[in-house]
Amino acid sequence: MTAFPGMTYPSGPQDNAPKQSKTKKVKTTKVVNGIEQEVEIEVEDVAGPEWGPRAALKVLDKELIRVDAPVKVSGRAVYTHDVRVPGMAWARLLLAPQPATKITKLDFSACAKVPGYLGHVVIEAEETRWLGQPVAAVAGATSEAAEDALRAIVLEYEALPFVLDRDSALKPDAPKVSRRGNQSKPQTRGDEAKAKAAIEAAPHKASGTYSVPVVHHACLETHGAVVDWRGGEEATVYCSSQHTFGFAGDAAKTLDLKSSAVTGIVEHMGGGFGSKFGFGQEGDAAAKLSKLLQRPVHLMLTRKDEFLMGGNRSGSHLELAGGMDANGALVGFTARAHKQGGIGDGSLSGLPYIYKCAEAWTEVSGVRTNMDSSRAMRAPGHPQASFATESLLDELAYAAGLDLVAVRKANLEDKVWHRQLDRVAKEIGWFEHPHRTQPGTAKAELCTGIGFAISRWGGGGGPACEVEVAIERDGSVTSSVGSQDLGTGVRTYVAAIPAEEFGLPLSAVVARIGSTRLGNANGSGGSVTTASLAPAVKDAAYNARRAFAEVLAPLLGCTAAEVLFADGGVQTSAPGGKRLTWKQACAALPEAGLRAKGVWAAHLQGNGIHGAQAAKVEVDTLTGRVRVLHMVCMQDVGLCLNRAATRSQINGGMVQALGYALLEERVVDTALGLQLNPCLEDYKLPHSLEIPKMTVILDDEDTRGVIGVSEAPIVPGGAAIANAIHNACGARIRSLPCTPDKVLIALGKVS
Amino acid sequence: MKSFTLINPTTLDGALEALVQAMDRRGRSKAALLAGGQDLLTELKEHLAEPEKVVNLKGVPGLATIQVDGALLRIGALASIEAIESHPIIRERAPALAEAAATIASPQIRSVGTIGGNLCQRPRCWYYRLEEAKCIKKGGAECFSYSGRNKYNAIFGGGPSYIVHPSDLATVLTTLDAQVVILSPKGTQTLPIERFFTLPSEGSVLKETVLKPDEIVVEVQVPLDALSQYSAWSKFKERASYDWALSSVCVAVVKDGSTVKRARVTLGGVAPIPWRVPAVEALLVGKSLDEATIAAACEEALRGAEPLSENGYKIPLTKGLLTRVLRSLA
Repeated sequence: MTAFPGMTYPSGPQDNAPKQSKTKKVKTTKVVNGIEQEVEIEVEDVAGPEWGPRAALKVLDKELIRVDAPVKVSGRAVYTHDVRVPGMAWARLLLAPQPATKITKLDFSACAKVPGYLGHVVIEAEETRWLGQPVAAVAGATSEAAEDALRAIVLEYEALPFVLDRDSALKPDAPKVSRRGNQSKPQTRGDEAKAKAAIEAAPHKASGTYSVPVVHHACLETHGAVVDWRGGEEATVYCSSQHTFGFAGDAAKTLDLKSSAVTGIVEHMGGGFGSKFGFGQEGDAAAKLSKLLQRPVHLMLTRKDEFLMGGNRSGSHLELAGGMDANGALVGFTARAHKQGGIGDGSLSGLPYIYKCAEAWTEVSGVRTNMDSSRAMRAPGHPQASFATESLLDELAYAAGLDLVAVRKANLEDKVWHRQLDRVAKEIGWFEHPHRTQPGTAKAELCTGIGFAISRWGGGGGPACEVEVAIERDGSVTSSVGSQDLGTGVRTYVAAIPAEEFGLPLSAVVARIGSTRLGNANGSGGSVTTASLAPAVKDAAYNARRAFAEVLAPLLGCTAAEVLFADGGVQTSAPGGKRLTWKQACAALPEAGLRAKGVWAAHLQGNGIHGAQAAKVEVDTLTGRVRVLHMVCMQDVGLCLNRAATRSQINGGMVQALGYALLEERVVDTALGLQLNPCLEDYKLPHSLEIPKMTVILDDEDTRGVIGVSEAPIVPGGAAIANAIHNACGARIRSLPCTPDKVLIALGKVS
Repeated sequence: MKSFTLINPTTLDGALEALVQAMDRRGRSKAALLAGGQDLLTELKEHLAEPEKVVNLKGVPGLATIQVDGALLRIGALASIEAIESHPIIRERAPALAEAAATIASPQIRSVGTIGGNLCQRPRCWYYRLEEAKCIKKGGAECFSYSGRNKYNAIFGGGPSYIVHPSDLATVLTTLDAQVVILSPKGTQTLPIERFFTLPSEGSVLKETVLKPDEIVVEVQVPLDALSQYSAWSKFKERASYDWALSSVCVAVVKDGSTVKRARVTLGGVAPIPWRVPAVEALLVGKSLDEATIAAACEEALRGAEPLSENGYKIPLTKGLLTRVLRSLA
């Protein structure tokens, strides 16, 4: 494809005039370890690049096939797991087999007898405090040698008392998980007495204890790194990471090199969802082994390691009560919540989730157990808060005999949610549904129900990225930045934005990403990437176009401001003026071509998104089977860079929500101190037959600049599905996942 | 996995000889038989099995054939699950067997996994599958599921182990009165499939079948008759795409008009062996499959169930499956 047929020229002259500089303050999102915080920052206020009217866009806001789709579907994409470098050793980690141990013997002498054993490093020699804590790493000439050496290590220990669940951790005589105790200091908000009085005075009341188990990111590519250091002044480190520039710096410290001497590479990565920010203990061990052996080391976690130490989303135990008036307004709300984040403190969003309440009181604390610390996971703390709040809201709505959509709108001032709720209700068939103010009963063998929930997220960006756009004399265009693409479509829009700017098709631009040798980029967490990076790409493309216009103006016999880039070529805006093909125009460039840099521009992005979802389920009351029939999501995203990728992100969020709603849970034996399902057979992710009809509606009434969207779509699905189950047959399940046994218990069928 | 020697015999005699050679004086085997490898490979990778020798049956010709000898269906031990699922005569004359094959694992696994391996596979109980848990199935003292996490464990026939047998084909083959042909150094033996599987309280708790270390399942024989013709299967998977049975039901009936003349009913996923329920079979004979009979059959089928702390739901679930299967045969 060389040009788009039927492409029309922009309506007016493009702005090729010089920038003017002043500053202004904007609100945006800053992310620390994947947790978003809203901050106000001062930015340059420039009369610079603009996205322009949506209707005039030719590449952006269209359905684009990902530029890396062919290499991914054909298996040619090289992930960190696939990296092989000459002389590479293979490494494995030895993990603590019990939740708490005092190590009495750690003996590597038998490793030496394993053919191919190369060496080891000790990570923890004295005491371990969580199940799966790394104790040592070994390296072998082959992966088999590494495994044999791993099994030759003699680890003896005294098992220390431990706790793996909330109830045990809160007992007065419970073993102490850490010196800080088993519970973090409760954070309270609101006036408890007033909130309780408001509930007491309300005509309709509901209360319940809701729980969400620990679930896993379950990235298809496990954590790990290949550290290519052979004893010189420089190293190359490949890592499955959400922050290319972050882990390279960590690796440099361990290798005792300058950070500029370490090249970090993330060419492709197989999922992170918040669990892959730092170099991790696995990366650190790989670097230490590389240092010891003076050769490259490949250390990727096994699937079992991944479940035990690769991160998890914190569980929650939420005791809620609420009161509703006759009009559906939530007038009183109390919540006592415990986050379960292993040795960490876990995440939980504010309560009640999104909905306003005149008198709300919350008390939130973390309860610690001897498991690995939770990590950020796609919208940290939001799905847990959503499930409990939306469940309680439905219970109150039924108590008041009110329509589930009307009740939600009654507690939301922001009209964006109103239009989104109305639209998803229409799409899911709510207005023809028989159970809009009362749940159905289990009289029929197959019952159908509908549930709703909403989400919000920041999604704003910040100044972090430096992009270079280069135009060569042969007509090729590259757009380069070090950012990783953790599956959200970064590589595609890094190419698509310059293509739009130059009036070229997407295929005319090559994106180079995933390396610290390229321009700086921030970590991909909290959905900040797009709003941080896309404006910088736009700025670089805009600067390149203006510089190119200066070169072309004399050739076209016009001013730079009159040079038009469109339809695969350049011409003057004057009628009957000269026209050059893109290739002819590029031939006018000097030998070195043309390069332009770009940085973030606040006015090209936005912050604060809304979403609403509806789920329709069928409950088989004979067997407890829940089949999700349809999920609908309406989401505002500002300017959509690639509609196909955005829809995919939203579909992915809904699939993950379906997983944690119906199937996923870390199962532990609290007496033996073991996780029972550290594998993808027993940790049940949804597969193809679980996926329902999915409808994504992009909210095109949103006229803002680009905003990150990927966190929000995972939030409402779990609550919507659980609410739909209740709506179908009256089975209220207050503890996720909603497995068939719980459905049968809720229906009173299990004695 | 631990390193082993791979032996590739080209005859059954050669395979038997390799098995015999791998036995020590006390009759313990240092060998494992490899067919499709779908269970053995995970056993090896998880160090649940650490044989010194792996005897590969794939090089022995003629073990994967499926043929019909008059009224007898003969399925070679190495016939793939997929071949059973798609075999036109099986689909027509023993539909439950083809239906059950289609519900096993994933298309990839079905194309490689074999009927012999499916019958000889080891339990899926998560304690058994976790190397760190030295459970009774691995020579330990205790079945951890009994007082631990037992959502997927047995409600019938448990003790001292509470596994459920993972084979879906076994449940159907029990219903259809299949026979297992076993080759040993002493010759060939044909065994009713009900005698092939053993309860943990009957045989060795370390095994699920009577198969000895120097024996090979070479064929499964299924009578193609009025019973197999009118057979139906239902398997409940927690995850529809890929899962083991939380419970399954296979029923075969011979009817005269609407009256049941003969019936066979087997439950799967609820006991350490395919759990035949003769009392239900007797109850059905002479009756038509109306809702009252079906309700009575469900009560009878689950009578005596002894659920553990987390698997009581298997009672209503199994009743639900049996209800639907009986209705489909009415």
